[in-house]
Amino acid sequence: MNQSVSVSITEDQRDCYQEISNVAMGQAADLLARLLGVKVILPIPVVNLIEVNELRMALSGIENSDTVSGVCQGFIGNAISGEALLIFNDTSFSDISSLLQYKGVLDAALELELLMDVANILIGACLRGIGEQLDVNFSQGHPVVLGQHVNLNDLLKSDNYRWTKTLAIEINYKIEGYDINCDLLILFTEDAIDVLNRKVDYLLED
Amino acid sequence: MTDSSQSSDQFKEMHSFMAMLQNLDVGLVVLDREYKIQLWNNFMESHSGLHPYEVREQVLFDAFPEINRDWFCHKAESVFQLNTRAFTTWEQRPYLFKFKNYRPITGSAQFMYQNITIIPLDSSVGVVEKIGIIVYDVTDVAVNRIELNAVNNELKRLSRTDKLTGLYNRGYWEDCLAKEFKRAQRTEQVSTLVMFDIDHFKKVNDKYGHPAGDAAIKNTADLLIMNMRETDVAGRYGGEEYTVLLIGTTAEQSMTFVERLRKSIEDSVVQYQDQKFKYTVSLGVAELTKNIKSHSEWIESADQALYQSKENGRNCATIYK
Repeated sequence: MNQSVSVSITEDQRDCYQEISNVAMGQAADLLARLLGVKVILPIPVVNLIEVNELRMALSGIENSDTVSGVCQGFIGNAISGEALLIFNDTSFSDISSLLQYKGVLDAALELELLMDVANILIGACLRGIGEQLDVNFSQGHPVVLGQHVNLNDLLKSDNYRWTKTLAIEINYKIEGYDINCDLLILFTEDAIDVLNRKVDYLLED
Repeated sequence: MTDSSQSSDQFKEMHSFMAMLQNLDVGLVVLDREYKIQLWNNFMESHSGLHPYEVREQVLFDAFPEINRDWFCHKAESVFQLNTRAFTTWEQRPYLFKFKNYRPITGSAQFMYQNITIIPLDSSVGVVEKIGIIVYDVTDVAVNRIELNAVNNELKRLSRTDKLTGLYNRGYWEDCLAKEFKRAQRTEQVSTLVMFDIDHFKKVNDKYGHPAGDAAIKNTADLLIMNMRETDVAGRYGGEEYTVLLIGTTAEQSMTFVERLRKSIEDSVVQYQDQKFKYTVSLGVAELTKNIKSHSEWIESADQALYQSKENGRNCATIYK
């Protein structure tokens, strides 16, 4: 059995992941733009193979001092499993609420609605985009609220991670003319990386 | 194989497939573009008491007026328009359909907490013509989470509170003071700190006993709570020492409160078992000025003013200069 002890990705593979993310992210941004009727600034997704306890550092779009709110959602397909994390800077909520045309006081309950609405669109569209390109149909678990108005380090308590390495795709979304800042992280588990690499190699052959 | 036996096999397969869907212990509903109910499985029938033929072709919101139409449409429209799934959790809304708890006898929740998934059902041409609603019973998860939060909040409250008086304990009160110090420095708002203690408390203890001393400590806290405003932050600083933070108040303004408090304590009578006694307090008042560089210096200033009141013969208040 060829049990690789340390997983790795080559430069070519990284470029390919980057390209796949670009396409998927573009589709998600297009849906978001259609729903909100605004222009979404397309960032360059960052693909990295990182230690799970370095997750904090992967969230480059979020400042240390800010309080954040976040949801996570597990996904799995063809034995490729992972989690999607959507993290919102708390200052984004008032602008998002006016964009989504919610009425009423912006309290924790409404913020949760907004967080879930955006998570549904971005995570769903991104996973579908990635899945279509890799020919995988991802099932999504139910999203879980990680926390509201908490410090980023509290949100990502790292004492119980079973995986040491993760393939992380970070996408930092911004919306033109609004103070909206949210980070979408697609994380693949260590044992999924081999399968993913094989799929990507197949794409690279063409 | 003849055509008819082939279609009969397909029919049997279809039939068992439908039986599976019917008996799945998860709610399944299919709605068309007008939100009219197209499919209603056994779970939905059992929990709502409505037969599929009773709800078929009915608009969801007519059949279930308790559903918040705006909220649900907001979610469902994005599924129709964008062809993506939508998830809602019990934390947003406890339920979509108001069903009874699956465990009506031993369960503590009145109703079934639900997670909802709305999935697009697209036709062959890629247009979403129908949506599927999947209803999950998450009552146990929700109840556990709610109870855990309640326990955590109670622990938080206990860790902040002084047991005898119900005021904030010293640790938490000092955290509040440090926070207010920073806030007041940034906003340049006025804020005043009052410290006071019971005069000759040792004598009270020696003469009437420690339980009577505790009664005096409790009485003082009660009168403090009665006289202060809701926005003031009061704590038990030490044995018979108290602190109050008066936000947005100058030292001069706080003297009205300070005098009222001093007088009401002087006038009060403590009764412990069959003993009755009176006592007084001395107070020190320190407004936050630019000369005060830290919250501990602020406490020191109020403490010095308190010391001055003791020097001046007790049962009086002094403003730190």
